[in-house]
Amino acid sequence: MLAFWRIIKFAFQDMGRNIGMSFMTIFILILMLLSINMLMAVDRLTQESVSLVKDQINVSIYVVPDAKEDDVKKVRDYINSFPEVINVDLISKEKVLESFQTRHELSPEIAEALKELGENPFGPTIVVKTREPGDYKKIISALDVPEFDPMIEAKSFDGHEEAITRLQNITNRIERMGLGLSVIFAVISFLIIFHTIRVAIYTQRIEISIKRLVGASSWFIRGPYLVESVIYSFVSVAVTFALVFFALRWVDPYLGVVFPNGFSLTNYYKSSILFLVGIQLFAVIVLTVLTSMLAMRRQLKV
Amino acid sequence: MIKLHGVTKIYPGSSVALRDVNLHIEAGEFVSIVGQSGTGKTTLIKLLIAEEKPTKGRLEIGGWDISSISNSQIPYLRRQLGVIFQDFKLLNRKTVFENVSFALEVAGESRHRIHELVPQVLEIVGLGSKSTRYPDQLSGGEQQRVVIARSLVHRPKIIVADEPTGNLDSINTEEIIGILKKINEFGTTILLVTHNREVVNHLRRRVITLHDGQVVSDEQSGKYVL
Repeated sequence: MLAFWRIIKFAFQDMGRNIGMSFMTIFILILMLLSINMLMAVDRLTQESVSLVKDQINVSIYVVPDAKEDDVKKVRDYINSFPEVINVDLISKEKVLESFQTRHELSPEIAEALKELGENPFGPTIVVKTREPGDYKKIISALDVPEFDPMIEAKSFDGHEEAITRLQNITNRIERMGLGLSVIFAVISFLIIFHTIRVAIYTQRIEISIKRLVGASSWFIRGPYLVESVIYSFVSVAVTFALVFFALRWVDPYLGVVFPNGFSLTNYYKSSILFLVGIQLFAVIVLTVLTSMLAMRRQLKV
Repeated sequence: MIKLHGVTKIYPGSSVALRDVNLHIEAGEFVSIVGQSGTGKTTLIKLLIAEEKPTKGRLEIGGWDISSISNSQIPYLRRQLGVIFQDFKLLNRKTVFENVSFALEVAGESRHRIHELVPQVLEIVGLGSKSTRYPDQLSGGEQQRVVIARSLVHRPKIIVADEPTGNLDSINTEEIIGILKKINEFGTTILLVTHNREVVNHLRRRVITLHDGQVVSDEQSGKYVL
């Protein structure tokens, strides 16, 4: 226990008396964490944008005007039974007419033509939303059965097919790129931190050898460096998150303009704060402690 | 106290530093080890503090065979010895007091005992008033006295001094040798590796001369003969 308190004391003493190196190590850690958080925020924004676009894609199934209400409901329930489907809206023929009239209220020719017909020429419409754009094809194929064939006048999917496929490709590419960038970034950050800590310990190699010569055990020498690594990790994560929240206060009003659904990065960070802080703290502690151990291995062979 | 039985040390590349050395140093002796550069004096010190292991032979300190000492036991051995180097080897970011107390802290000595012992030892070496200074605020002689205080504070039975006056002027040399002699009078075995003819001749104690890795002379009241 006495040794433990001495290790803590030496860690704080070393940090204070080597303030320049301590500051530089923390600074590099903060830069690394800020870069990773920026990448995470960009990834989150990309996901949000893609889901916003995905949200606006749906498939409309136009039913013939004389279809019976029970039969239409049967089609709706059938579609709803697919696990890929997240929402099915059945719009009555009256609502369809109303919306058509609203859309064309500025063209008197269309209003005249409808009046001429004397009856509602539209059938009900079933609006389907699936989890992924790729699922639409499956739903459309599932409707190609003789039972429903006479009832279905048209499906709007044909027009969207190319757009949906393209969106799917873009989404996949962005995800792959994000993953690739994250891996490259993690490797670069690891190398920078590894060398920063290695240099910090290398500059103290003479001190380490002296401690060894006066009879300090390996753990007594390692201990302060490991405690310092943990302190650096806590300080750098705390400063990084303070800076991130400060930056988000400035970024969020701009996001409010781009995302009409009220998406905010501050809310995202607040809702996942424990996870984000926890995972980053864990990763930085593992990185710094491991690096210190590796860097010291050589210096301890005196 | 210190026994070497047929100790040979060969470094990689077949460079022989010590060749079949047999020595027996009794408790309380003051022994000077002399010899030209490259004759194995420093290797002998390195073997004694377990910085190196002998290629052949057996080395005992106080009955403890350290020829094949494990890495985890080395700190315990070093806590039994006091080591003084030519280049001082002080911790530059620790004060004089902290440099001396560090040797006790690593051994798990209590805070109370440290605050009792360190000022006493600093008084002995004449640095009682400079305990809050850092090594770079001291002269060479004063730095070497801090090293002596550090090597002395845990009351070792053996002090190994490798060219302790190598970087000092004649006045400081005299002072350092005077302190070592005083320590020896209290019963501590001193092993002094030196090039300084005057120091050896003035001491009139046992002198072991090494040449080409071998003991060529061992005289109880010897002189620097090279």
